[in-house]
Amino acid sequence: MSRSGNRADWADDEEFDDPSALPAQQVISNKDGTKTVISYRFNDDNKKVKVTRRIKTTVVRENVNPQVAERRQWPKFGNEKGHAAGPSFDTTSVGENIVFRPSTNWKAQAKEAEKEGGEKGSIQDQLKDKKVKCRICSGEHFTARCPFKDTMAPVEEPTAGGAGDTGEAEAGGLGAGKSSYVPPHMRNGGSGGGDKMGGRFEKDDLATLRVTNVSELAEEQELRDLFERFGRVTRVFLARDRETQRAKGFAFISYADRSDAESACAKLDGFGYRHLILRVEFAKRAT
Amino acid sequence: MRPILLSGHERSLTQIRFNRDGDLLFSVSKDKIVCAWWSANGERLGTYNGHQGAVWTVDVSPNTVLLATGSADNTVRLWNIKTGECVKVWDFPTAVKRVAFSPDGSKLLAVTEKRMGFLGTIAVLDINYGENLEDQAAEPSLKITCEDSKATVAGWSFLAKYIIAAHEDGSVSQYDPKTGDQLLNVQVHEFDSQINDIQFSSDRTSFLTASKDKSAKLLSVRDLNILKTYPADTPLNSASITPKKDYVILGGGQAAMDVTTTSARQGKFEARFYHKIFEDEIGRVRGHFGPLNTIDVHPAGTAYASGGEDGYVRIHHFDKSYFDFMYEVEREQMRK
Repeated sequence: MSRSGNRADWADDEEFDDPSALPAQQVISNKDGTKTVISYRFNDDNKKVKVTRRIKTTVVRENVNPQVAERRQWPKFGNEKGHAAGPSFDTTSVGENIVFRPSTNWKAQAKEAEKEGGEKGSIQDQLKDKKVKCRICSGEHFTARCPFKDTMAPVEEPTAGGAGDTGEAEAGGLGAGKSSYVPPHMRNGGSGGGDKMGGRFEKDDLATLRVTNVSELAEEQELRDLFERFGRVTRVFLARDRETQRAKGFAFISYADRSDAESACAKLDGFGYRHLILRVEFAKRAT
Repeated sequence: MRPILLSGHERSLTQIRFNRDGDLLFSVSKDKIVCAWWSANGERLGTYNGHQGAVWTVDVSPNTVLLATGSADNTVRLWNIKTGECVKVWDFPTAVKRVAFSPDGSKLLAVTEKRMGFLGTIAVLDINYGENLEDQAAEPSLKITCEDSKATVAGWSFLAKYIIAAHEDGSVSQYDPKTGDQLLNVQVHEFDSQINDIQFSSDRTSFLTASKDKSAKLLSVRDLNILKTYPADTPLNSASITPKKDYVILGGGQAAMDVTTTSARQGKFEARFYHKIFEDEIGRVRGHFGPLNTIDVHPAGTAYASGGEDGYVRIHHFDKSYFDFMYEVEREQMRK
């Protein structure tokens, strides 16, 4: 019994199961003169992909010098002998686009362009050196992201002065981000009474010391050991350079009790630590 | 315009030449290889291998059958352009710094270096285009010896009536190619500033010099009168006259030995475009990382190529703004 003649068992039929079989390419002529070519292939993931291409053929007639046309047929020779037609990537590439506009006052234009370019360059250079600096702890982050945002005042700015206009603006900002509406409890200076969520910071604030002139080689644990003599320390923050991981020269120490903080402040201000003399003071309140 | 970069050479370019139809570009460099390129797409047609030293100069016969190259291995070689075979080698006592076919292609001149007790010469060779290209005259038909100052570059005038040579001392002379007599010698550039290149206008009635004294001059072939002067701010290595538009292109830059001490911008490695008649600088094209050693313009005026000390050839096909540019007076002329 020949297999092809009588296909008794459907399982023998391999045509549908064979994963390597691809449907034949189809070419359809469209009414507008274009052709649609549908072909199938396997992609890198071994999945079958249907490719539909619409091809429009345009015939461009060009008169060429017969000698040039004849030369175009020449085979390659020398180091290029046997290479396929078309530019090869190792010898030929296309450069960046060049804008070339001849002009009589070329020099003036070039000078201007250079000036602009130079200025841009200088701004970029300026920004290159500039790092984000927090106004509160001088750390490398935005002031808004400062961990002491709610406990500390900006280092240089006087705290008291900010109660008026700035308080108003910030209160607005807290509300709904730049909206003109300020909720009643936020009015009359955001730093009123119950504006701060949770009194934790308030408490911290009262018992936090700012330590400056800390050695570059200081460690958080060392500071903790040093300050723990005066009472329970709830938090030690040593500002570090993000890149070098070295201390930046100041730290914040929070005590559980304000009286401990007071004694620590009195004892350790002017204390010789490593090769430097510490300066300890109460951290200023944030607005 | 997007330049096509050709990186077939490993050392600095010494000369590039388009053929007369402009479809092929030939480049030679100090790495002993001669390359032929399709100017339209930058495809390399082939290389002509055989020189034993730096190749200083190349020229292509007007019918694009033969290619002549002159090299530091003291030879002039003649190549079959189509097959890449060397058909003839002429030996000279010193290096060959310039070869040039006469406008009809029947003669080839070769400028030899002054060295090792030999004076600089200009030799004229007769070229045959018979069935057998290897059948060439063994000896030069004429030898001009430059006793005062060696010739650095030379070329043929219209109808091969004169040989024009430019000298190391900044002078230009006119020779009779039949007798070899010097007819004229004019000091056109500053004394002792070498002339690095001369290129002719398409009708060969005028030519452009490029000199170390930071200027290029347009001279008439007949009486060597200075017609125009194009001052630049850098020593010039090459200068070319563009057909179709009345421009000249100058190329140069800090000398190779000073290059490492200057940045690309300060090095002035740019092709400078001047208006041929008004002598104004009208623009620059940058791109090379070293001085421009050689410039050639497509004979139809639609493209130009430059070869630099950086080992690259860049082919620039001009776009519309290049052809559209006109002075106000030119525009008025057009309206009439």
